[in-house]
Amino acid sequence: MKKYTLVWWKLAEMSFLMQCANRWSSLGWLGGKIVRFVFFFIFLTAIFRHVPNVAGYSLTQVTFFYLTFNIVDILAQLFFRGIYMIGRDIREGDMDFYLIQPVHPLFRISSNLIDFLDFLTLIPVLVLTGMVLPKILGALNFPELTLRLILYGLLCANGVTIAFSIHVLIASLTVRTQQMESTVWLYRDVASLGRFPSDVYSELFRAILTFVFPIAVMVSFPSKALLGILSWDKVALAFFLSSILLALSLGSWKSALKHYCSVSS
Amino acid sequence: MISLIRKYGSVLRISLQQSIYYRASFLMDRARTITIVFAFYAFWSTLFQGRSQLAGYSISQMFTYVLGMNILRSLIFSDKTWEILREINTGRISYYLIRPISYIGYCSARDLADKIIHLFSAFLEVWIAVSLFNIPLYLPKSPVTLLAFLLSAVLAMILYFLMSYAVSALAFWTAESGGPRFCFELFLEFAAGAFFPLDVLPASLKSIFEFLPFASLLYFPLNIFLERASPAALLSGFLNQILWIAILSFVTRSLWKRGLKAYCSEGG
Repeated sequence: MKKYTLVWWKLAEMSFLMQCANRWSSLGWLGGKIVRFVFFFIFLTAIFRHVPNVAGYSLTQVTFFYLTFNIVDILAQLFFRGIYMIGRDIREGDMDFYLIQPVHPLFRISSNLIDFLDFLTLIPVLVLTGMVLPKILGALNFPELTLRLILYGLLCANGVTIAFSIHVLIASLTVRTQQMESTVWLYRDVASLGRFPSDVYSELFRAILTFVFPIAVMVSFPSKALLGILSWDKVALAFFLSSILLALSLGSWKSALKHYCSVSS
Repeated sequence: MISLIRKYGSVLRISLQQSIYYRASFLMDRARTITIVFAFYAFWSTLFQGRSQLAGYSISQMFTYVLGMNILRSLIFSDKTWEILREINTGRISYYLIRPISYIGYCSARDLADKIIHLFSAFLEVWIAVSLFNIPLYLPKSPVTLLAFLLSAVLAMILYFLMSYAVSALAFWTAESGGPRFCFELFLEFAAGAFFPLDVLPASLKSIFEFLPFASLLYFPLNIFLERASPAALLSGFLNQILWIAILSFVTRSLWKRGLKAYCSEGG
């Protein structure tokens, strides 16, 4: 564990230095992320000038769903951004180099690009979440409040696990085909469906977003748990689905590595 | 003239073949666009439950806006200008500068290929969506509306071309233009009404976007198609497009002239 922390820290330091060296570019990327966050926030608030609720949720609740989506999404990007580069790593031969290093290749690839810009965008998201939380929770008694907060935290962590599994599945696909890394961008767009509460979608699409592309489990379930509208069987389903997906993704990674043929060497 | 057509026609043909060759990438691109359109279709469907009007739009107008947005995005925003940044920063642009071909002409032909492919796919996707989900569409009642819409779409295409090339010219001075370009694109998409009609926004914010060139790209043409623009709004919209095209033509031309002087073919 100590070795992994040390390697992660070293890679994070290198990424940070690289981003500082390219400060104009970094500022642009950061600006883009902030623009996207702020505009969607403006859009959500503007919508409520025309309607009293969205799928039965108030402005505060919809905002909370949006903030939770951002927390899970930013954490996933912060820790697994390196996987976005796997296609390039394979083509340029860096993958061979990662495979012979004395750390797990998935860890090495994921940590290859630790994006501090994501960390910077996480700060306002957490501050806003802190401001919205008291309005959401209202006057709950202490045990209920603690239970909901713990469940929220656990389901957010579960969401990050699902995001990790999907990233690993995409990495496996890229190792096998050497050209499917753009799938990660498709994942990003499908994940963006989680900006709104999953109840916005029809029943069929809600089922798809729960069982096929578990975006609803990843970003909507934590918010629902905190609002006290997620049944216990759905909580169990969330953890069951993430375990299955994690096992499946790690299995596919192992199998993909067996087919890896070091294209650039 | 014939030699020009043959020259740039070849670029167009090769670019079309390249786009079709990388099928997985292309299909993934389209899948991404469909996802975004689907998200907004589902969102607006929910909002329209039990309502006939929202932000001044009827249900058919709103769905036409969302689907029309998909088509116009393919026509206006599809381009290869990210390639320009790479070509300048790697020195590859030198290959084109020393050849008997205009780089801007070459890029325009390359962009046109991208637009043709994406526009064709966008029409196909919209047709499938409308047939599958039985989506009500708003169709203009007058042929003059269609003409005005086509004119505004062509002007929007020229406007985006100029904006995009002006931002790409930054690469002549810095290898760090990718970030600013990303920021510009995101801002532009929101401000152009590429995610939702600007009428949803507070009036003050909407007026700012209408004054700037952004709203002329998607929001204005789509409003013409939906016959929501009054004659006065039509006139001021067209004047705005022409004014910004004139300003940006000058800015882009100057930036490229200066940029080419500053260019030192790093890596080339």
